[in-house]
Amino acid sequence: MTAPLYGYGMFGPDTGLVLAVVIGFFFGLFLERGGLGDPHKLTGVFYLTDFTVPKVMFTAIIVAATGLYLLSDLNLLDMKRVWVVPTYFWPQIVGGAVFGAGFVLSGYCPGTAVAGLATGRLDALVVMAGIAAGSLLFAVLYPYVEGFYSSSAMGLATWQGLLGVNHWVVIAALSAAAAAMFYFMERFESRDR
Amino acid sequence: MEKRNFWSPYIAGAGIGVALLAAFYAMGWGLAASRAYALVAAVGLKGVSPGYAGSLDYFSGYLKAASPLKDWILFEVFGVLAGALAGAVSSGGFKPRFDGPSGMSTGMRLTTAAAGGILIGFASRLSRGCTSGVALSGGAQLAVSGWIFVIAMFAGGFVVAAVFRRLWS
Repeated sequence: MTAPLYGYGMFGPDTGLVLAVVIGFFFGLFLERGGLGDPHKLTGVFYLTDFTVPKVMFTAIIVAATGLYLLSDLNLLDMKRVWVVPTYFWPQIVGGAVFGAGFVLSGYCPGTAVAGLATGRLDALVVMAGIAAGSLLFAVLYPYVEGFYSSSAMGLATWQGLLGVNHWVVIAALSAAAAAMFYFMERFESRDR
Repeated sequence: MEKRNFWSPYIAGAGIGVALLAAFYAMGWGLAASRAYALVAAVGLKGVSPGYAGSLDYFSGYLKAASPLKDWILFEVFGVLAGALAGAVSSGGFKPRFDGPSGMSTGMRLTTAAAGGILIGFASRLSRGCTSGVALSGGAQLAVSGWIFVIAMFAGGFVVAAVFRRLWS
């Protein structure tokens, strides 16, 4: 097993930075070409007029999840060296809800604001300044929110670990749910026009 | 809404999925975005007021490196800007303008953009990431974090959209 390549010392931090630009380039290219630099398309899902965001998002998640666990099962990737996003139940529920409110108000999220700016949208630049200011606000208020921030920690919880099933059961269930969702979104959108 | 020759959302999604997988395979972590803003805010504050920046516990992790801006996430976000610019220019979609909900005054749009951004910045730190770092990367790992964040995000967004019906529709 030789991957993650960086974790196994196959290259140094400077090569990692070059890869960051290359991987980011394709992330940005697909975001913009998918229409996710446009705040009207980005917010469409919340008004049930345009389902581009969930279509792009859930397709990306399922493609990456399938590849990730396939590489792991084939012993081509060491999952123990992949940094898993830790779960803090209530902070991520509250954070997610506030994030959603900010998403609708501003029309962007942190990655898509960059894509929006790249299309020449200067309002995205205002949103970006706001995100930096909000991060600063969090750091200033950290002593007061630290207790909540660290509460309901569940560690590196995964659905397969929580439910005691094989990861392919989770991926199959998510794929079926996404397929059903995409089907109804396509039907809903075609009825709209 | 302007009509553009966008790619199929499923093609764009698959492309992002492959980019995410490449990040996992090469680096051992996924895509992210919001941390770049916190990093720039921390370094910016340190430039203005090193003493105050040093007194903020939360920023200590961001500022302990010898050169904090030589960070993977900042280079990734630079790549996002370059890739999106290439996409916009090559498809004829690049046009400097101030976008927003139709009929909204510039002052009101400045307010919603700034206020929404502040909420996003604060919430991203509380959630330990955003739609990229938690929803996409955590979601693909089948991490509980990614999925509860996504569900809460759509719930929060739908509530605000229901209250402000004319905002974007």
